[in-house]
Amino acid sequence: MSITIDWIAFLEVFVAALAGAALVVCFYAFGLRLLVRAGRAPVVAPAEFTDAITVITEKEARRAAKAAAKAAKKSPLTEGQRRFALIAAYASFGVSALAVLGGLLLLVLH
Amino acid sequence: MLRRHSPLNPDRKRTVETAVFIVVLVIALALFFDFTNGFHDTANAMATPIATGALKPKVAVMLAAGLNLVGAFLSTEVSKTISHGMINEDGINAEQFLPIIFAGLIGAITWNMLTWLLGLPSSSSHALFGGLIGATIVGMMSLAAINFGVVLSKVVLPALIAPFTAGVIAFVVTKVAYAATRRYDNKPDGRDGFRWGQIFTSSLVALAHGTNDAQKTMGVITLALITAGLQDREHNDPQLWVIFACAITIALGTYMGGWRIIRTLGKGLTDVKPAQGFSAESSTASTILASSFFGFALSTTQVASGSVIGSGLGRRGSTVRWRTVGRIAVGWVLTLPAAGAVGALAALLVVWLGPVWGVIVGAIIAVAIILAIFLRSRTNAVHAGNAMSEVADSGHAVKVKRNPPPTRRQRAILREQARLKAEQEAREKAARKARAKADAKKAADEKRAVEKASAQAAKAAKASGKGDRK
Repeated sequence: MSITIDWIAFLEVFVAALAGAALVVCFYAFGLRLLVRAGRAPVVAPAEFTDAITVITEKEARRAAKAAAKAAKKSPLTEGQRRFALIAAYASFGVSALAVLGGLLLLVLH
Repeated sequence: MLRRHSPLNPDRKRTVETAVFIVVLVIALALFFDFTNGFHDTANAMATPIATGALKPKVAVMLAAGLNLVGAFLSTEVSKTISHGMINEDGINAEQFLPIIFAGLIGAITWNMLTWLLGLPSSSSHALFGGLIGATIVGMMSLAAINFGVVLSKVVLPALIAPFTAGVIAFVVTKVAYAATRRYDNKPDGRDGFRWGQIFTSSLVALAHGTNDAQKTMGVITLALITAGLQDREHNDPQLWVIFACAITIALGTYMGGWRIIRTLGKGLTDVKPAQGFSAESSTASTILASSFFGFALSTTQVASGSVIGSGLGRRGSTVRWRTVGRIAVGWVLTLPAAGAVGALAALLVVWLGPVWGVIVGAIIAVAIILAIFLRSRTNAVHAGNAMSEVADSGHAVKVKRNPPPTRRQRAILREQARLKAEQEAREKAARKARAKADAKKAADEKRAVEKASAQAAKAAKASGKGDRK
């Protein structure tokens, strides 16, 4: 009984999964960074406050929104630079979404 | 194999009727397994977004159900691994093999439910593989009935490698997510935005779950159909009605099970930050989808658990609770042989009692198990202690400090701030000293001036006194 194992396939899975996850996370995180740069730091309160949430309370969310608005006012960027950062942020989110769609398309077409 | 269009004598006709009866039972049991798989695994996809508050539980359950349904239609590679690869169908006849598939399913369901009742970590997928393999070895009384090459390369090795792979990927991308959004000026960093992202990535995990897990049941049904001669062996793709049935069943299980499981999840996973959850889900989804592409039959539970541990370690100041990791790992390692043993016991019933009575007794046992679980689910309230979530357990495997140590750059900034502060203090001290010196000098000058003035005044007074006397 001979057992042949395709070790390369495991490596391919690792590389493909790492590339996919890295593309999605990097571009999304970069998009958030640019969004902050554009003076639109997202403050997203939890949809529901489960017992485990130690991340943020409603009061903290309000305070964070206020701090974000204050920081945005003090931005050293010009209006044009901020607009450019905003467009780049949305483009980053777009690339992140495209990476997912590309992966799914590859799976379906295969 | 049975030929559908061959002229049938009464014995042959009875055999066909028995085979069809067992195929129907196998399909029903496989679909029930699919339902429990969806029921059980809602938690895997939706544990982190609920814990971080990215999604409301109701929305999460509906999203998971819908995407499990869609995911089931995306690929058939995993199904082919099960229906045409794991078991050497050559030389196996339907009369002999169909009851064995049935026994394997009973083994999988029994082990799955037993672990649920006892609160032990387990994997539905490995319970299925273990049940099928154990039942086949005992039922056929031969190791040659199993294609160990396929089992090793497409089931066992992926089971060992995939959680580790997902953990490493989650660790790397968590580091990236935090590094990319870190601010050094204490201004808002926008990491809250990962909550929006989590809606997206958790949906992807639900989709990946549908893609990988629904196919396992499709594979079992297709295997039964091929064995009974109801499907061509050369065309081992699952039939469209099989895909639809499995997709709908897993989605229904996800929807129904979600209500019971998901409401407790908030207590299960502690201190998961949105950036961490986003990274863990991205890693889980990409690992499962990439594996589905190659036909590796993974356990979503194990991959999601690996990702949660990896992403926890990706946070600063985190340490591993090895005892918890060990407990989870033992559960994973045990699932395949334990389900195999239960499957083998069920197959022994078939061997001892014959295909028909074996299947009937097996069906009665299966119904008893299902009833027991149904009654148990009615009498026992779901709480954090008995909720099925190995992913939540994995969250406890990593201890994260509330105030993590600073990064290298933060340390450099702190050092620079300390240096500037020291310089400032030194300058202020020097200025104070200079000021004090100047004040002392001024005071001394003033004193001298006062003394001089008083001396002059005294002299003048003396002089004026002399003048008066004259």
